[in-house]
Amino acid sequence: MSIQEDDFDIGVEHLRLKSAGNGVGAIVTFTGLVREFESEPKSTDFQRNLSTLTLEYYPEMTEKLLSEIIQQSFDRWPLVAVSVVHRVGSLKPNDQIVFVGVASEHRIEAFQAAQFLMDYLKTRATFWKKIEADGQSHWAEAKVSDNVAAAKWEG
Amino acid sequence: MINLLFFGRLSEFTKDVSQSYECAGESMTPLIIREKLTLESKALGQELSEPQVLVAVNKMIVKWDHIVRDGDEIAFLPPVTGG
Repeated sequence: MSIQEDDFDIGVEHLRLKSAGNGVGAIVTFTGLVREFESEPKSTDFQRNLSTLTLEYYPEMTEKLLSEIIQQSFDRWPLVAVSVVHRVGSLKPNDQIVFVGVASEHRIEAFQAAQFLMDYLKTRATFWKKIEADGQSHWAEAKVSDNVAAAKWEG
Repeated sequence: MINLLFFGRLSEFTKDVSQSYECAGESMTPLIIREKLTLESKALGQELSEPQVLVAVNKMIVKWDHIVRDGDEIAFLPPVTGG
């Protein structure tokens, strides 16, 4: 698990997962990118050109929360390896933001765990996005749809 | 001394407010500190009172009536938006 300003190489991450053990029969990876257009808050019909996305985090606490989320994925599914990389600092459109990779014996648990990791990361890990678009800046609003997605894993 | 941290959009409201408090022997909680901050900035107080805002003491999420001690770090956390 890594929180870093630098970009990451999904080829390197994939290779690490592939080499994680003899039992690996499936690898699922997800990469999140900075969108070029940002919807106006509380409106879906107007989009602005994003110039910079700044990601803030809470050092030590964010690492701890990510570790807990990864541990929960191991508790829920028989996984061989999990890799999570999240970038912070100043990002541009099309930049990579986040990587989640899961290696397991069979595909079902790898798909499910990857989705679980992203759903929990988006709703529980202490990152905050500031959006600069068309010369104005604002903090991103949390999405109800993300909470709905994460709630599906409860109970 | 109790240090205060404000993340995300909360940081936009903290220009003129205290970034730390002295305990001075009295029992302190994040709730009491929120009340003190509200006296300094009504706008910040409103933001901190939003039900989605969480509070962490020494990087652990706690209830608002958690007792804080000298040397503790209190962080006010708006809804997260990473990923």
